[in-house]
Amino acid sequence: MKQSSQHIVGTVGEIPPGTHKIVEVGGRSVGIYNINGVFHALRNICPHQGAELCKGIVSAYVTSDGPGDFQFDREGEIVRCPWHQWEFDIPTGCMITDAVMRTKTYDVTVEKFGVSIDNDLILIHM
Amino acid sequence: MQTSNTNTQLPVDKRPKLKRSIIDCDIHQATGLDAIKPYLPRAYQELVKQYGPALPGGMHFNGGVGGRMADAYPEDGGNAGSDLELMQKQHLDRYNVEYGILTGEGYAVHAIPNYDYAAAMCRAINEYTIEHWLSQDSRLRGSVFISKQAPYLAAQEINRVGGRSDMVQVVVSSGSSIPYGNRHYDPIYEACVRHNLPFTIHVGLEGEGINSPHTGAGYVAHYIEQRCARPAVMGAHLASFIFDGVFERFPTLKVVLQEAGVLWLAPFLWKLDQEWKGLRVQTPWVRKKPSEYFRDHVRVTTQPFEETPNRQIFDHLLESIYAKETLMFCSDYPHWDYDSPSQALPKLEPELWDSIYYQNAAKLYGLPPRKTEETK
Ligand code: FES
Repeated sequence: MKQSSQHIVGTVGEIPPGTHKIVEVGGRSVGIYNINGVFHALRNICPHQGAELCKGIVSAYVTSDGPGDFQFDREGEIVRCPWHQWEFDIPTGCMITDAVMRTKTYDVTVEKFGVSIDNDLILIHM
Repeated sequence: MQTSNTNTQLPVDKRPKLKRSIIDCDIHQATGLDAIKPYLPRAYQELVKQYGPALPGGMHFNGGVGGRMADAYPEDGGNAGSDLELMQKQHLDRYNVEYGILTGEGYAVHAIPNYDYAAAMCRAINEYTIEHWLSQDSRLRGSVFISKQAPYLAAQEINRVGGRSDMVQVVVSSGSSIPYGNRHYDPIYEACVRHNLPFTIHVGLEGEGINSPHTGAGYVAHYIEQRCARPAVMGAHLASFIFDGVFERFPTLKVVLQEAGVLWLAPFLWKLDQEWKGLRVQTPWVRKKPSEYFRDHVRVTTQPFEETPNRQIFDHLLESIYAKETLMFCSDYPHWDYDSPSQALPKLEPELWDSIYYQNAAKLYGLPPRKTEETK
């Protein structure tokens, strides 16, 4: 089996809740998202036509009870591709309308470092 | 909503993503009112300043970010498609584009009842494009904007700039008040033929301003419905060209169908041919099978290309629309439904790839062979 590697991609203070950052790790471009204090890592390539997925707008999962009704759930958990706006679930990398279509995700952990939480290190496991 | 807090560069690989160069038949440089205003006559500049642009459009919400790819906006805050350097970096260089046909923006000129204003706007768009785009990058070619609702003014504009070697076609919106085969438009086709310019119908402005509703069933509520009704509008224009005898009156005229999709044409051509068998007597000036007129006179650009359920269907349909002669690649950069030159279509055998990505367009627009292969 291929050995997994881990990489420091930044500090907690650099990516406050509701934001993300695109980093280069092991030759791959990856988006690191902070959703309500939990970090997620998403490969920065759209499985459709290869756009840089993590440059897309982050928004909510939009649902409805009927025509004219809009409900916004899971704020900040969905990224819409910058090109054709296909929606992807950030925690799983799965496309909303067809979960088989997905982009890779990686495990992320946070490691204590010094006194302030802001200085804690974000690690991604590949 | 949140956007990226870093500015990453283009993906690691900076080399062009295609080994052989291509011709892209639909690239939108921004030609909105902001850009072209200085080229308008003083009267319209003043009127626009005082009362706003007096243009229809925007009946539906668009897609993407303001209708554009989210990553196509220049960092200085300008419009997508307004910055040649970004276009070069993001698209022309990256995908080895040998020639790019510019198709502009601001198709609302095709939907206004003020013919003189429409003609002045078209003239301004053409002047702006020549000065700011065609003269800045030798890969670029232009499309002549015309006030199609006023054919005599349109013909004047074609005669004015259509002789330039960097203008390679005439472009109009698919939204219209009268189908394009109607002889009302003959002055336009006379001018096209005189200057050897294809007449390109690009989707847009259906149901807006003076144009007919989005569908024969009436106005539709959502953008997705409008998009899905576009083949029907384009099909109506195609049938109109054939059965109103335009190709008999103008035997050298070429027509390009742009952005209404592609594969729907297969069953549409089958139907045209079938109906013609029994109804030929009603239009006896139509001298050959409708699909033959299509092969001889009509070209189709690829984007937005339909996704087929499997490869067999794709291959069959491509054959049914005579893709080897009729299909030409286009990306629609920087619009949100952009088709990537390297990933939009499945892998094609080399000869067919070359026809679709280069030769068919080179032939239609009279563009030279690839520079790197000229001597071979
Ligand atoms: S490339 Fe991402 S949706 Fe098409």
